[in-house]
Amino acid sequence: MSLTRKQISILMQLVAETSPDEMDCGDCLDHLAEFAETHLEGRPLSDALSEVQTHMKNCPCCEHEFQSFLEALQGIAEGE
Amino acid sequence: MSAAHDQNGWVDRLRDPTQQPEALEQLRALLLRGLRRAFASKAGDDAFLEDIAQDALVRILDRLDQFEGRSQFTTWAMAVAVRLATSQLRRKHTQDISLDGLTGSNPLKIEFADDSAAKPSAGIERSSLIGKLQELIDDRLTDRQRWAIQALLNGVPIEEIARRTDSNPNAVYKLVHDARTRLKQGFEQAGYTADDLVGLSQ
Repeated sequence: MSLTRKQISILMQLVAETSPDEMDCGDCLDHLAEFAETHLEGRPLSDALSEVQTHMKNCPCCEHEFQSFLEALQGIAEGE
Repeated sequence: MSAAHDQNGWVDRLRDPTQQPEALEQLRALLLRGLRRAFASKAGDDAFLEDIAQDALVRILDRLDQFEGRSQFTTWAMAVAVRLATSQLRRKHTQDISLDGLTGSNPLKIEFADDSAAKPSAGIERSSLIGKLQELIDDRLTDRQRWAIQALLNGVPIEEIARRTDSNPNAVYKLVHDARTRLKQGFEQAGYTADDLVGLSQ
């Protein structure tokens, strides 16, 4: 199969940002609630939460889930 | 668990048989509100989201001991519900899609579309980088790694790749991470920096 220009760009970006000790999806999702609150409150990220951010740069699935999560939290906040 | 993160006493109320029914109903309403906001346009019908909210309550009760107070209880509970909804929607979305169809007739080799390498404006450096990428993909990656990368670049979620290969998301992530590491090392050994790669990706 052929990759599009955009897919090649994504792959290159992913390769460039690869680091030796990346958090896996399970750990990322375990920290998602804490990460979301820290993100929404604009607080500085701890080392562990920085790893969540790094993981999401390299994992579209977790990043997508995080965006849905933020929307859900907005839904909760609006009902309060 | 930090009491400050459970201001409404959710954990105690959910554990107390006399308070649990009311707490569950309140939590269900809250989760449903969040789920509707995030997934109404993707879910198709509200019954799906009501089922997710119900399943989430079961899972939350099951995992109450795992709430460590690192976030508000309701944030943690919402994360559980979003995890369920995301997972089920991904499965629904991809259940009729053949992974072989997404990865092409020859899933073990990545070929590049003409427009990615041959544009006059792209320059020699770009062509050289892409040529190196092709070489590294061919020489350093395993068949499974090439296949997983192709699937991911075609939008197949990691958990769906895992499900269809009798694996788990963490193992698939590691497989792809190892592949990215091999590619990055190959570029570095050839004298390219991460900035060179990012430059190409923009």
